[in-house]
Amino acid sequence: MKRYDLITPEGTGDLLFEDCAIMRDTEKRLSDIFKSKGYCEIVTPGLEFYDLFNLNSNYFPQESMYKLTDNKGRLLVVRPDSTMPIARVAATRLRDMLLPLRMYYSQNVYRSRPGMRGRSDEIRQMGIELIGSGSRRADLEVITAAIEVLSSCDNDGFRFEIGDIGFFRELTAKLNVSDDIKENIRSLIEAKNYPALNDLLDGMGNNSITFALKQLPRLFGGEEVFERAKNLFNDEKIDKILSGLKNLYEELSELGYNGKITVDLGIANKMDYYTGVVMKGYIRGYGDSVLSGGRYNRLLSEFGYDVPATGFAVNIDAVSKLFKRSNSYKAAVPDIIVHCEDGYEMKGLLYADKLRKEKINAEYSVFETASETENYARSKGIKAVAYVSGTITHTTAN
Amino acid sequence: MNNTKKRPLRLALTKGRLEKDTVALLEKIGYDCKALHEKGRKLILPVGDSIEAVLAKAADVITYVENGVCDMGVVGKDTIMEAGGKFFEVADLGFGRCRFALAGKKGGDFYQGYNVKTIATKYPNVARAFFEKKGMDVDIVKIEGSVELAPLLNLSDAIVDIVETGGTLKENGLEVYEEISPLSARLIVNRVSIKLRQHEIEALVKSIEANL
Repeated sequence: MKRYDLITPEGTGDLLFEDCAIMRDTEKRLSDIFKSKGYCEIVTPGLEFYDLFNLNSNYFPQESMYKLTDNKGRLLVVRPDSTMPIARVAATRLRDMLLPLRMYYSQNVYRSRPGMRGRSDEIRQMGIELIGSGSRRADLEVITAAIEVLSSCDNDGFRFEIGDIGFFRELTAKLNVSDDIKENIRSLIEAKNYPALNDLLDGMGNNSITFALKQLPRLFGGEEVFERAKNLFNDEKIDKILSGLKNLYEELSELGYNGKITVDLGIANKMDYYTGVVMKGYIRGYGDSVLSGGRYNRLLSEFGYDVPATGFAVNIDAVSKLFKRSNSYKAAVPDIIVHCEDGYEMKGLLYADKLRKEKINAEYSVFETASETENYARSKGIKAVAYVSGTITHTTAN
Repeated sequence: MNNTKKRPLRLALTKGRLEKDTVALLEKIGYDCKALHEKGRKLILPVGDSIEAVLAKAADVITYVENGVCDMGVVGKDTIMEAGGKFFEVADLGFGRCRFALAGKKGGDFYQGYNVKTIATKYPNVARAFFEKKGMDVDIVKIEGSVELAPLLNLSDAIVDIVETGGTLKENGLEVYEEISPLSARLIVNRVSIKLRQHEIEALVKSIEANL
């Protein structure tokens, strides 16, 4: 039988030393941001019932989830997402709590993906959920928090993109075609597949809706997008969505993030729990968005608790990679190693503790002879050795 | 860390015929493709000042673009349908035209009877998706070389393969049973690059569309 005891499963990997240091730093920086805004941490189980991720308003393809069964034969999944479990908690245990609820999380999600494409199945995510407010203020709060997160990771290079899923929804709602064709149109807009979208829509005749839908994937960029979108389709609801988004865009640009905020009216996620403003964040050198989120006003009603909500998630592995490339992290080397002669082992331990209290990182030598300790210190790059016997002496390597 | 701004746009090209057609297109737009003509064994080559071409196998073009190490790529729709992936497919370049088809022995009735049919193909995902849509169970055998052999040797009832002129099929006593999908070369773009380098990419896509 073939044994797999020396390698990790596909799509996973060990995280060593400086990778951990970078990840923990990122986690700390982000959780400080979230805590300072009044968000409280929540941890949900790694295993959940399959049913939680198989709701009407949200659809995780079953092949994308890791599944197992519990001891009663019920189907479980390894958490593929944190928003659904948090919505579950809000709708059950937190139902009587004063609204809005502000929660943040820092936990892994697991998605089974086609192998060997350079993407991991285990993703460290952090994010916030603001549950119980549908106001513009709630959108603004969550969006500015997302921008703060991005700028703390890549101040010069990040881009933040806003859109409104309602724009696409309202347009397709007016289209008199089957749901299958709507889904087809959606996937072509999402893939910005201009030629195929044009072919498909040409077959539906030339009217103002098909004309507007054809433009949709190209409607992204800066302020000029609103100008281009304005006269595309005359409809009260669509006008309202556009003017709301334009307001948001202008307010964000005034915050001093001019040029870093962009708009994409062609965002049409398959994850259709989004109901309004959606957001995406990008940093340099990562081929996918590192932050994504938006308003999901209908999700909680699936758990019998009809309150609006908004939030976002950040891919911690992706933003950590950026710091790794900047190469400023080195695995920590202790400042000093404490060697003790036979019979002075306890004294050595106590002396190392004393140094640590003075904020000196001290390693306790497990070697019996001074020369072994010195060789080890030299190889590891520890600059100083303390010798503990009847007396205590220090030497420092040059 | 400011290298993203200065780095030329990286365009992954599928080696072989699509590469030649793409080079012709780039030259028509006015790019200097000298390095691509005299490439030797080099795999990364400058095209004018603003583009860097990377030569790769078809499926790798998608991998490079998906991971963002190349901003754009030229790849056949056949590879896109087989490999899938997350990227934007912004233009149909029109060259490399052919089609996916279901083919088998001339005069055969593929859909007859209730036996589970065996399909030989280089494109198992395309074949699976095609029959899934029909709600039909099939056994799929992956073949690396000349797929036409499989029905001749009675390994399979039919094949799913790229058909250009149909010449090879004809010579071997095979015929197309059913068209699956038309194919041609596509310009694909990484989902982040299109946002971070919007103006350069849009300008290039526009001049490509104007020169098709």
